[in-house]
Amino acid sequence: MVYWILLQKSFMRNLQYKVAHLINNAASAIFGFVFIAIWTGVLQGKESESPYGVLDMTYYIAAVQCILWVSGFLTAGLNIQNGVRNGAISLELVRPTNFFLYVTSQEAGRLVYNFFFRSIPIGIVFALTVGFYVPQHVPTYLFLCISIFLAIIISINLHYLVGISACWTTEISWAHFVNFTLLAGLGGQFVPIDFLPAPLSVITHYLPFASAIYYPVMIFLEKSSSSVIFIQLFWTIVLTIMNLWLTERARQKLEIQGG
Amino acid sequence: MNLFIKLVSGSIRSQMQYKINFLVSSLSYALIMAVDFILLAAILHRFDNVKGWNLYEVGLLYGISSVAITLYRVFGVEIHNFEKYMIEGEFDSLLIRPVSPLSLLLTKNLDLSRIGGTVQGVLILAISIIGLSLKDFDMFLLLVYLPISIFSGLIICFSLGLLTATIAFWTQRIKDFQVFTLYAPFNAANYPMNIYPGWLKLIFFTVIPVGFMNYTPILFLLNKGGTVWNLALPPAVALVFLFLTLRFWQFGIRHYHSTGS
Repeated sequence: MVYWILLQKSFMRNLQYKVAHLINNAASAIFGFVFIAIWTGVLQGKESESPYGVLDMTYYIAAVQCILWVSGFLTAGLNIQNGVRNGAISLELVRPTNFFLYVTSQEAGRLVYNFFFRSIPIGIVFALTVGFYVPQHVPTYLFLCISIFLAIIISINLHYLVGISACWTTEISWAHFVNFTLLAGLGGQFVPIDFLPAPLSVITHYLPFASAIYYPVMIFLEKSSSSVIFIQLFWTIVLTIMNLWLTERARQKLEIQGG
Repeated sequence: MNLFIKLVSGSIRSQMQYKINFLVSSLSYALIMAVDFILLAAILHRFDNVKGWNLYEVGLLYGISSVAITLYRVFGVEIHNFEKYMIEGEFDSLLIRPVSPLSLLLTKNLDLSRIGGTVQGVLILAISIIGLSLKDFDMFLLLVYLPISIFSGLIICFSLGLLTATIAFWTQRIKDFQVFTLYAPFNAANYPMNIYPGWLKLIFFTVIPVGFMNYTPILFLLNKGGTVWNLALPPAVALVFLFLTLRFWQFGIRHYHSTGS
């Protein structure tokens, strides 16, 4: 199948840069150490007031730094904007392949690569230094796989949404910035979302950003029931349908301009 | 200097051709940095302090560090994106001009969209200073010293940026190094240095001396420790570091090999 081949090719292409990526992994781990140090400073002596202790937060940050590479740091706009700018999109949209799958399968290949050459090495660094949580119950591993899978689809969709908006706005760098900030800020990259002030802490549980980062991490740490997968499933379906619809609109817009 | 003003004003005019884009990108950049700080405020509001530093005190550190790095991103955009000169072989064209490559790089372009971040940093500083409600003399000293602290931070940041750019003479690509030398250290410098483990502290006070720009002087200015020397250190460290970096840059240029095509 063509999309599977695209995924594999994208994986192979990324393999070319693995040395540079390994250096970057060390930097990613340093970011993690900085965050862990901040939390340790904040929580020391106040663990009784917090739902999380110092060790919990260490595990939390370590897990987040790993998952960020598969559902946080995606290509801006999945590069759709480049095609819009140089006109290549007109050809890409008329190909006999599904444009949505054509773009997303390539990104998926990069994320699979990231999992093996970014998430796992970073996880090993944490395991050797500050410690890394190991789920105690066997079903957790199954739920974790489902949750990460859905998180990846949600994040790819959010980035696709930013990318396809280029068909109307041309310039997407600010949209990408905003999207990433919301993903990191409301997704629990540094602050677990139940620590946020009152209305925000409730709302964020139902936003797609938590589904991309926070839920898989909470399932991994066995601090959340597996039912949150349904929230993730909801966003997976909604965002996918929306993007397919937007792609169709973009195609129509293109035909009008080209005619 | 005249040349510098001419080149800079040209750069501003060219960016103002896209007003809406400029506005939207500045606003979104400010929003990003604001979200960061709101998250921190949420934690400190809940837990009161981090190792003895309350929200407004951390705000001072945060403001200085974010104003310094965003000013660098405004003025040092070509230094920051230096790898393109290596990868696309454009560096040759800088070497044959009658002005030094570094002055050319500094005047070539400004990234005004980062100004939003600077404004946001200044706002955080203002809120923190008001929130601290210091005694008259302490307040006076802090206000007088802030520009020195920010300027030292800018010099340290610029030096780190140039240092990283120089690495490109050997490695071509530097984006991955920047996370190490700029993003992570400046993120760390948003918070008091006493929360970090010894090995990180060692790095932030030696090879990547970001600890000096805000933590060292603020420690003294907020009566948390140190001596008057804490105020002399930031500019001194910044200038020494700048000198060493410039030497390294010259060394790098001498070792530059063109693509030869």
